[in-house]
Amino acid sequence: MAISFLKRGEKKQKQSASARKWAISLTLIALAIWAFFTYFFDKTPDAVQSWFQVWLPPSTINESLVWVICALGLNIVVGYAGLLDLGFVAFWAFGGYTAGWFMSGFFHQVNIHFGSMSAKVIPGIHLSFWLVMIIAALIAGFFGIIIGAPTLRLKSDYLALVTLGFGEIIPQVFTNGENIGGFNLSNGTKGISPIDAIGVFGKRLGPFDLGWKFLIYFFLAACMVFVSLRIRGGRLGRAWLAIREDELAASMMGVPLMRTKLTAYAVGAFSGGIGGAVYATHVNGIFAERFNFSISIILLAMVVLGGMGNVWGVIIGALLMAWINATGLPAIGDTFNNTFHTAINFPSYNFLLFGGILVLMMLFKRDGILPEARLKMISHENDDEAANTGGH
Amino acid sequence: MSSILSAENITVEFGGLVAVNDVSFDIPEKGIVSLIGPNGAGKTTFFNILTGLYKPTSGHVMYDGQEITALVPHKIAAAGVARTFQNIRLFGSMTAEENVMVAMHSHLKASLATTILGLPSQRREERAAHEEARALLEFVGIGKTAGEFARNLSYGDQRRLEVARALALRPKVLLLDEPTAGMNPQESSVFVDFVHRIRDEKGISILLIEHDMAVVMKVSERITVLDRGEKIAEGSPAEIKANPRVIEAYLGKGVGAGH
Amino acid sequence: MANKSYKARQVRRAIFERTFGIAILAMLSFWLIVNLIKAPSQFAEVTLIGLSNGVLYALIALGYTLVYGIIELINFAHGDLFMLGGLFSAHFIALWFHQTKSSPMGWLVFFLALISVMVFCAGVNVFIERFAYRRLRRAPKLAPLITAVGVSFMIQFVGLRWNGSGQKTWNSVLPHGSVMLGSVKLPYTTLISFAVTIPILIALTFIVTKTRQGKAMRATAQDQDASRLMGINVNGTIAFTFALGGALAGVAGLLFQQTRGLTSYNLGYQLGLIAFTSAVLGGIGNLQGAVLGAILIGLIQGLNDGLPIGLGQQWSQTVVFSILILLMVFKPAGLLGKQVTEKV
Repeated sequence: MAISFLKRGEKKQKQSASARKWAISLTLIALAIWAFFTYFFDKTPDAVQSWFQVWLPPSTINESLVWVICALGLNIVVGYAGLLDLGFVAFWAFGGYTAGWFMSGFFHQVNIHFGSMSAKVIPGIHLSFWLVMIIAALIAGFFGIIIGAPTLRLKSDYLALVTLGFGEIIPQVFTNGENIGGFNLSNGTKGISPIDAIGVFGKRLGPFDLGWKFLIYFFLAACMVFVSLRIRGGRLGRAWLAIREDELAASMMGVPLMRTKLTAYAVGAFSGGIGGAVYATHVNGIFAERFNFSISIILLAMVVLGGMGNVWGVIIGALLMAWINATGLPAIGDTFNNTFHTAINFPSYNFLLFGGILVLMMLFKRDGILPEARLKMISHENDDEAANTGGH
Repeated sequence: MSSILSAENITVEFGGLVAVNDVSFDIPEKGIVSLIGPNGAGKTTFFNILTGLYKPTSGHVMYDGQEITALVPHKIAAAGVARTFQNIRLFGSMTAEENVMVAMHSHLKASLATTILGLPSQRREERAAHEEARALLEFVGIGKTAGEFARNLSYGDQRRLEVARALALRPKVLLLDEPTAGMNPQESSVFVDFVHRIRDEKGISILLIEHDMAVVMKVSERITVLDRGEKIAEGSPAEIKANPRVIEAYLGKGVGAGH
Repeated sequence: MANKSYKARQVRRAIFERTFGIAILAMLSFWLIVNLIKAPSQFAEVTLIGLSNGVLYALIALGYTLVYGIIELINFAHGDLFMLGGLFSAHFIALWFHQTKSSPMGWLVFFLALISVMVFCAGVNVFIERFAYRRLRRAPKLAPLITAVGVSFMIQFVGLRWNGSGQKTWNSVLPHGSVMLGSVKLPYTTLISFAVTIPILIALTFIVTKTRQGKAMRATAQDQDASRLMGINVNGTIAFTFALGGALAGVAGLLFQQTRGLTSYNLGYQLGLIAFTSAVLGGIGNLQGAVLGAILIGLIQGLNDGLPIGLGQQWSQTVVFSILILLMVFKPAGLLGKQVTEKV
């Protein structure tokens, strides 16, 4: 017993060591990117600068991080618990509009300031970004429970459909929300803009403070990673995976299906709300027409590409697809067209790309691009064990 | 001997079709009993009633002095009625150890918040759960496979893992649905000893559904025979072997009596 | 005791569901009566529009229901197949046969297009089944669902390339104008929609209930393995089901394109969802249910969009999806469907 206890401890250490290695290297990379863009970018030759402007502009890097936050949220719902949510955009919209309501001059009838750095004379509700993020998460989570509670007892494919419908209704409500019984909920198609600047350490981040925003977004994404991994390793994460694998067997092993699924759905919605609020600060506004079905699908493709439930894989999937969506396709298209004197509209290929990824991954590589790292680690561990038992 | 799990006058109808008709049945405390019968006799349906998956049209299921007929499956499981499946239903892409730990869900107390924060109480609980899972895997004889994906285990190991997983519920009753299906005679006889060990070391009462008559006769203290949804016989292995109705049910009319 | 409380709970639930259903119906009838009194002839007209939408939805909904009935898959790509059918018809009639106005030649080409589009869409659907869904028949349920979403996007890409990113308008070869029934206008196009759809629905009923293929379909839906043992060609039967569904989507595409005169790459997504809601409303897997549900949804939508007291067109989709969600919550089996439990 004592020996196995020790071994247990070693394994735990190994596991957390590997996670720590990932975490440290990612943090270092992030800091290097930040330092590069903040301090060295101006000093690099023009050619380098223009290359970055075409292939890797800072705003794309920031946007990718927003996608990472949301993809990790969806990964909890689809990847961990195996609940196909095709309306994740709804939570994104809730988060976005929360930022729109509480971080701008939109409600000009009132003048509420709390923790925000905008001038006190500007009417509207101006709350601190951090507070708004929590409110956004709570609102999205609340709606997640509202929609999830009745539908999660249905079969999984029905859930996909209801969430799809939900993802259609919510943006339509916001699009038509300029006059709901005389009340302007969302400013309709005109959207809400601008959003208050984020304040950190007594500094207001303007639209061009991309470096600071990068650090904030990175911090939030890192929190999502941390939370995802922690939950995965615990009681709830095991229950989610069990439900994903075999719902009936899970219930026969004492896992309450409804409550467990609802938690997954709520946690996913919660992070969708955060993602939405963050996205609003990234684009400095909320525009109803951006919240469409393709967002839900792109997020799903990110999760599928990275491997459902595989946090590191989903991060890579999200970064890759976000880059392709924002910069890669247009940039590749321009280069290709200039080189071969063609006029192919590359961005219009994103339908084919995202659809194709979903189909091909499902047909040929259902585990995602990153092979499950756990497997490797465990096979090593077994070697150790064999050596140990040999010594007895 | 008092009974730990008992079914009283269970009748199940599916759209007018009677699958189980007025069957009563007891699992004595620390007993090993079997449910046998030809295909389509209603054995698995009966199992599903005991575990709460189906609700009987009429009748009651009593467990440890309490009625559990109307409880949802996960509550019955958490109360201590564990089962395995005829066609193995493990969580394929989880490790063997995790499979076992899933079944501890109802004993563990960690919440979403304590898990995210990694509070000492949660860590302690997790460590204990790991220990228990390892011990259970050792108990069923597959301790070495703890870190392997369930779907990569051999067929026999998967069967054992199912038992380990069921034991992690800390059950008072264990229901085994055709546990020796696909085993050769040698493995089956090892299995008979294993069933006795579960009962003797863990003090768990056991109900088996089984096709292999050699196993049934060796392992059971009492046997109940179902045929077309009706209980046609009940008794010790020797009594069942000699019962003409049982022989008739198994071999068909005319064969048992005519020769 | 517990057993009784379980039964009591069930009874309470049933009573609640019924009360809720009656309340909704009462509100619906109230709304209809108010409108009927206010604008009777407009009411009749939008009812007709709703009905003609309804038969169109029925054609698409049947494709969903057929496929779901046999392999329990929500074929998300089915609506896009309808869109593809519309595009094919537009090109067939206007560009390949140069028919842009109502004439005997135009009607002949319309008839040719009807047959071609059925063959075309059936072929596409069978192709999708063969190369995408068939390989995943024994995979976890999430896999074919996600694949279907992916296929939907790929078809939308084809539509985008073929049609361009905007809406395109086309001239119809069907006669314009309408007959007057009292003070109510009944457009010829509506009449033609009925004239095409109703025989097709009858033919479908015949195929499914009376022919060998139909029997094979029902057997396969019940139990694939058993059907295989009984000598039924399961793969062939499933392919046949996809062909049937595809052909119906093709007809819907042609009718939509000719009666509304427009094509757009994302039409399939919107109408597909509405049609699926219809299928669920009627009870998925149930053919009569799909038609009933589609006509109800068509009516509700037509009335909501066209009546003086209604939420209006910009809320059309919200109305339909709210119905879907309410249905899922209170009566997931649909109007004519039945609840099934999982086999262990």
